[in-house]
Amino acid sequence: MDAEFINTYLLLVTLTSLLANAIISIYGLFFKPHYTKKVIALTILSDTMNTFAIYLGYRTWVNGVNPRPPVLTSTPTEKSISEFTARAVDPLPQALVLTAVVIGLAVTLFLVFLGYILYTHYKTLDMREIKKLKG
Amino acid sequence: MRRITELAVIISLILGVSVLLVLAASILIPGVEVRQLAFFYLYTTINPWFQNYTVNSPEAVTAIVWDYRGLDTLFETSVFYLALIAGLALARGLFSETLQGSFNEKTSGLSTIVKTVTRVTAPMIIAVGASIGLHGHLTPGGGFQGGATIAVIPLVFIVVYSAFFLIARGVTSNKMLVLRSIGLLGIGFISIATFLIGLAIGRFAYVFQNMPKPGAIVGLPADINGALISGTLWFFNLFEMIAVAAGFTIAFIILLLAGRGGSGGR
Repeated sequence: MDAEFINTYLLLVTLTSLLANAIISIYGLFFKPHYTKKVIALTILSDTMNTFAIYLGYRTWVNGVNPRPPVLTSTPTEKSISEFTARAVDPLPQALVLTAVVIGLAVTLFLVFLGYILYTHYKTLDMREIKKLKG
Repeated sequence: MRRITELAVIISLILGVSVLLVLAASILIPGVEVRQLAFFYLYTTINPWFQNYTVNSPEAVTAIVWDYRGLDTLFETSVFYLALIAGLALARGLFSETLQGSFNEKTSGLSTIVKTVTRVTAPMIIAVGASIGLHGHLTPGGGFQGGATIAVIPLVFIVVYSAFFLIARGVTSNKMLVLRSIGLLGIGFISIATFLIGLAIGRFAYVFQNMPKPGAIVGLPADINGALISGTLWFFNLFEMIAVAAGFTIAFIILLLAGRGGSGGR
């Protein structure tokens, strides 16, 4: 087995586990009755999707040289910049994920406060119980 | 009916995963080249021979976050701020920041060993957070990450000392809200700083402009005395760090004091 095959295989293992993660978290989001577990499933889902987004900007290995993070670590000369653009991964998905993480955090914060209000109001966070109650 | 639904779910899962595997084999293996847009970002992020388009920051992600797509990040910060306001509004009456009864620092909280270790590590955590935040234009990291790191301090202090330790020391949610607003105002001011300079010297300049652009020659300096600050990026990171650290502190104070005092949630 050559190195390229192993690299592709490991990449697909990562991708498949991300997919499994997404499916399990969607299941948890819809079928777990407890509010806190729904929130946890939502955060796992958003993190999985963020990892997918970062994956979109990834580059393949060329001759055993791995792609670099989009940070220039040497003095900017013509040579280092051209080497940098030839190896560095796409920075745009990472920047978008940074935004998505912050907004996801804001949503989670809001949901947690909402959960606290739900608990003080109904004395339970079980969605089956809350559905039965009126008012 | 239920069995048919389950069967349909299983069959569609199998079919869907097969389609995804086919796609993965042909599309999802990343290529050797990046997109043209990414190539532009990587090529211009720091490039002394391309002065009109460069950001002068070796960190391409921070360059995108605060320069190429700066407006995006401004609104993202506002969303986080609004979420905190919503949290404060929802938690109104659920928590009280007044000390109830006698609060003794000596007797409350965990053991002396834990307290001493916390006191020693706290400045180190702040130093690491500040370094992550203020080097955001040079190394991976930035204002948000640095602020989140610094915000660990109040959380650790609440757990190790007591919920009222921070309140007794004057770290209340109102003061943190003021700090948070100062951070947000700073971000707003920096975003129009170049525009104001342009107004003052009578030259054309854009809002959210960082380095000189073609047709708008006003710009902030890329370095101060040889130390790279990448124009507005350093200031954006500084204010974002303050805002995020204060914001997380508010969230921790509310969540960990909720249920103590107040008149209940109704």
